[in-house]
Amino acid sequence: MDKLIPIITQLSQGLVYTIGIFALTLLFAIPLGLLVAKGRMSKNKIISSIVRVYISIMRGTPLMLQLLIVYFVPYYVFKLNLRDLVIGSLDYRFIATIIGFSLNYAAYFGEIFRGGIQSMPQGQYEAAQVLGFTKTQTYFRIILPQVIKRVLPSVTNEVITLVKDTSLAQVLSLTEMFTAAKKLASAQVSVLPFIVAGIFYYIMNGIIEIIMTRIEKKMNYYK
Amino acid sequence: MSVLSMKNIHKSFGELNVLKGINLEVNKGEVVAVIGPSGGGKSTLLRCATTLETIDKGEITIGGDTLAKDSDKGAVYCDRKTLQEIRGKFGLVFQNFNLFPHFSVRRNITESLIHVQKKSREEANQICDALLEKMGLSDKADSYPCNLSGGQQQRVSIARALATNPDIIFFDEPTSALDPELTAGVLKVIRELAEEHMTMVIVTHEMSFARDVADRIVFMDGGVIVEQGPAKELINNPKSERTKEFLAGY
Ligand SMILES: Nc1ncnc2c1ncn2[C@@H]1O[C@H](COP(=O)(O)OP(=O)(O)OP(=O)(O)O)[C@@H](O)[C@H]1O
Ligand SMILES: [Mg+2]
Repeated sequence: MDKLIPIITQLSQGLVYTIGIFALTLLFAIPLGLLVAKGRMSKNKIISSIVRVYISIMRGTPLMLQLLIVYFVPYYVFKLNLRDLVIGSLDYRFIATIIGFSLNYAAYFGEIFRGGIQSMPQGQYEAAQVLGFTKTQTYFRIILPQVIKRVLPSVTNEVITLVKDTSLAQVLSLTEMFTAAKKLASAQVSVLPFIVAGIFYYIMNGIIEIIMTRIEKKMNYYK
Repeated sequence: MSVLSMKNIHKSFGELNVLKGINLEVNKGEVVAVIGPSGGGKSTLLRCATTLETIDKGEITIGGDTLAKDSDKGAVYCDRKTLQEIRGKFGLVFQNFNLFPHFSVRRNITESLIHVQKKSREEANQICDALLEKMGLSDKADSYPCNLSGGQQQRVSIARALATNPDIIFFDEPTSALDPELTAGVLKVIRELAEEHMTMVIVTHEMSFARDVADRIVFMDGGVIVEQGPAKELINNPKSERTKEFLAGY
């Protein structure tokens, strides 16, 4: 027990970062994903090609590498020393992590949203159009609510993956939960910190699953 | 008075000429049935009239507003504001309903009244209740489309099209997606509308329905109107060979 308590307190400090990365990534990546989907479906060939390349890079290279690039590129390429930059209580390590995660997840979300939007029958747009709804009204009142229902299961998958992916932030020496566990494990010469960290991740995802299942159920009032 | 006027309408999809100079006038209170073989351009004609397709050449007027005007360079469309006004002047009933599945029946009918026509919620609800009663669906206001039969869904979509009190309603094969035993309820509703002298253009394969309900029948084939005339006359006494041949199939 006297071993467990310091583990839990230290991991909890890491957990704050983990949750921070998780929440902020969702906050930025979801709206950004909608933009990515829109860009990917754009009639403008230049825009859609750029977005296509962006998606393929984000999905085709390791997130860990992308994090390193976001962190180091300003300095090595642009001679911009952001490493001492602090905004509020957030340093550039953390900011770079959020940028990297958001850019990466926006690509995945974008493809999920695109699939959802493209699966909508043309008739929904046409019915809205003849009733006089504007494009914006059609999107927000008719299309998006149905798309959300359609993409929810895939989004849940991504969200669960994101919880586990937060551990990749260790590459920028950010003391999120996984890094904290690693440090503790080597200090205590024990696997216990890893086990506790595993339980933490598992609980987080359990909560997410419960919440998402509830939302899915709530949307089951129509087919 | 002409509610719908389509003059010399031309429409092609790429190389395919689908409408080759259609002229169609529909007067207030008139019920026009459009019949003809598959691929003849009936749906395309309705879609052009209802702003879902743009015509290449010709003129369209609906309820006194000009949707498209002819010019040397082809059809020129009205501005957005007029377009929006015109969309309030007609209703369209689709073959496969196209109800909004995430909205209740009530919201399917009232959503555009509130957010497009800017009516108050109470007024919209009153309109909705009256229409649902007319459709025999008063008890379904809070149901969702997925819990209704096809026939009920189609009646909701008719109510939705009627909600803006349009000058004219277009139907594109309103019973084709329905099981035979469900068509009667929908046809009855359309028949009642005809008795109230609602102006309607109905694309249909139900010949006996067209004969009984329509004032005039238009026979379309190959992108042109081959023949048109008073309903009974056209069905009983078609003049053109193509019409005869087509009707012989029924
Ligand atoms: N969006 C489109 N793009 C290309 N071709 C089209 C399009 N819509 C219709 N067509 C073609 O135009 C022709 C007329 O089609 P339309 O749907 O108007 O016929 P229809 O008379 O309604 O037939 P049906 O009785 O089968 O409904 C067909 O050859 C069809 O393939
Ligand atoms: Mg058709």
